[in-house]
Parts: sequence; C-alpha cells; structure tokens
Amino acid sequence: MPRWDAYQMSVDASCFTPLGLQPTAVCRLGFTAAGRWLSEHALSHRRLVTEHQTGLVLWSAQLIFDEPVRFFDSDCLEMRVMGRIRGGGTQFECEVEVDSARGITTRMQACCVPLRLDGDAALSGAPARLGPGVIEAFRPDEIEVRPHRSPAPGLLAAILRDGTELARGRTPFVIHRHQCEVADQWYWPEAVSLASGGREELVQVESGRIPGLRFALSTPLRRLDLLFNRPFFLFDEGTVLSSAHEWQGRLLFVHELIGTEGGEPRALAIEQFTTLRSDRVWD
Amino acid sequence: MMVHVSGALLRFTDYRRVISVAAPTVGAALTTLADEYQSLKPVLFDREGRVRATHQIFLNGEQLTREQLTRPAGDADSVDLLLAVSGG
Repeated sequence: MPRWDAYQMSVDASCFTPLGLQPTAVCRLGFTAAGRWLSEHALSHRRLVTEHQTGLVLWSAQLIFDEPVRFFDSDCLEMRVMGRIRGGGTQFECEVEVDSARGITTRMQACCVPLRLDGDAALSGAPARLGPGVIEAFRPDEIEVRPHRSPAPGLLAAILRDGTELARGRTPFVIHRHQCEVADQWYWPEAVSLASGGREELVQVESGRIPGLRFALSTPLRRLDLLFNRPFFLFDEGTVLSSAHEWQGRLLFVHELIGTEGGEPRALAIEQFTTLRSDRVWD
Repeated sequence: MMVHVSGALLRFTDYRRVISVAAPTVGAALTTLADEYQSLKPVLFDREGRVRATHQIFLNGEQLTREQLTRPAGDADSVDLLLAVSGG
C-alpha cells in the first residue's frame, strides 16, 4: 500500500469564504501537505533543490469538493496525503484529502514535472526525469509507469463543442511578489485566485443580462481543473480571459490566463458549479 | 540597444527592466550587461562562458539560437531576455 500520512491542521477564518473552504486555500494546504509527505518519506523540497538540483513545477491539478467544508464545522481540518512517481520519473503526483469534522471531503490531485536545475541563483531549469537518488526513496507501489494525463484539454474541447457560451470577459492583472515563490515565479495557487477574480468580475458585469450567473457567487465550487503551460514571473502582466458556459446542465467558467505575448494561454482553469436546474451535487 | 529584463532575472539587475547597452552584437551586449551587473553573470552564463540553455534571447521579437548571438545589433534594436521556467 502506498504510504498515506494523516494529521490535523488548525485553520483560521482566512482560509474560508461564507460558502466554504477557499479553493486557493485547498491548493496551498495541499501543496504544503505534499511537501510534508516528501520530507517524511523521501527528502525535503529544500534538499531536493540544493542536493539533487531538482525542482518541481506544477503541471496539472484537479480539485473535487464533495460538499462545502465550512469554517464553523470544526477547529481543525483532517489532512491525508500521499505521493507517487509516475511516467518513469517524469512526474511527481500527490493526492490530498481534506476532511471536516462532519466527514466531508475535498480532494486534490496534483501532478508536478521535475526540473533539472542549472545550478544558478535564479533556479533556472529544464524538464527532466527524477534522478535515481530521488526515485529510490519511493516504494515500488509508489512508482507508476503510466503517466498522468490531464483531463483539462478534453473537458475544454467538450465544453466548446457541446456547451453554450453565456458570457465573456477579461480581467487584467500584474504579478507581484506576494504572489510568488522563492524564485520570483508565481506560486501556482495564484492561478486559482486570478481565475476566481475573473469569474466574479464577469458575473458582476453580466448578471443583469443573465441572472443565472449569480449562481456562481451564491453556491460553492464543485470541481476545478487546472493546466499549466508556462509560469508568470514577478511584474509580468497578464489577462484572465473568462467565459461562462452551460454544459450538460452545469454552469462552468473557462479561464485562460494569457501573457502579453499572446498565443497559447500560460494557464487554464475550468470551474464547475452544480447544475443550474437543481441542487443535485456534482457527480 | 535596449535590453529588456523581466521576471526572475530582475533581482540580478537591481530591478531595472530596460537597460541601454552599447555593443556591436547581441552576445556582446549580454557580456557587457553581465559585466555591469556582476550577480547576473553566473545566472546568465555557465562556467564555460556560454549563455545557459535555460534562457531565451529575442532580438526584435525573433528568438535567437546560441549560434545567432553573434547577430549585429544597433541603437534601435531591442533584446528581450527571458527565463522560461524556474524550479523553486
């Protein structure tokens, strides 16, 4: 059995909205949990960088919210986390479960691409397989040959093909240092914050014309798919191109985070809310 | 020429984003820039003095290979220095 770690985590009100645990907070707590697992069972993120010249860059993540985990549910969250290598050492994947005292679970699956660092102070690097010194820290059942494949491109194609676009908007942004990690590169959960901001702006502008969009402010997120192509860095300017869609009875928002160079989005976020027509939980 | 620095490289140029450099080629401009900003030198160049492969160099929007850094450039030209990804 792959090794799962379980621990309690005290939380404060800043992790929550009135609707429940913030998706950005789940990403941050989840990535911290993955770092903790790595440190316990393999080696710390710091040692990975300094001793093995290996960095980890997030490529794909999925978050599923069974029911909202709310601030007033309990003093602590129950965290469960495991890690594994996939794709012959070309990916590190973690699974994280965040439980409330009511037994409600939020799940995150996140897949990172290892970078072979070039040894300079900017921590520049290029994608590479994990070295044998890192791989040997994992048990055989924590090494999966099959690579993770992001569901985001297929989901986007299906939405664009079969869904109905309801509204579209754009929200510019600049990356500042409080949004970055140690290399002055954005910390990936910021993509979730920027996408959420893009949605909220779109709803404010368009909900007079399409009142149903306000559903995305009054009900919690049920699923979030993330895909990263290229990071943003300190003082990079960008735009969130947000579009609202109805697809299979659900309200969805597609957010493309583009840089000033245009072209392929640097990141993609797809938010799914429960059906527009009933309160049925997302499945 | 004007060299545009961004993102993770800014802390090595004292956060100056646009720097005027007098040099006959793109490669010479990078060397001059690294001489002016000493902490940039080991970031931009490897131990053999080659521009690290993790950097992308653009001349007036056209990405250059390492071999094309000998390309002449003048006052009106613009060089962009980008880091593709960092591993923090």
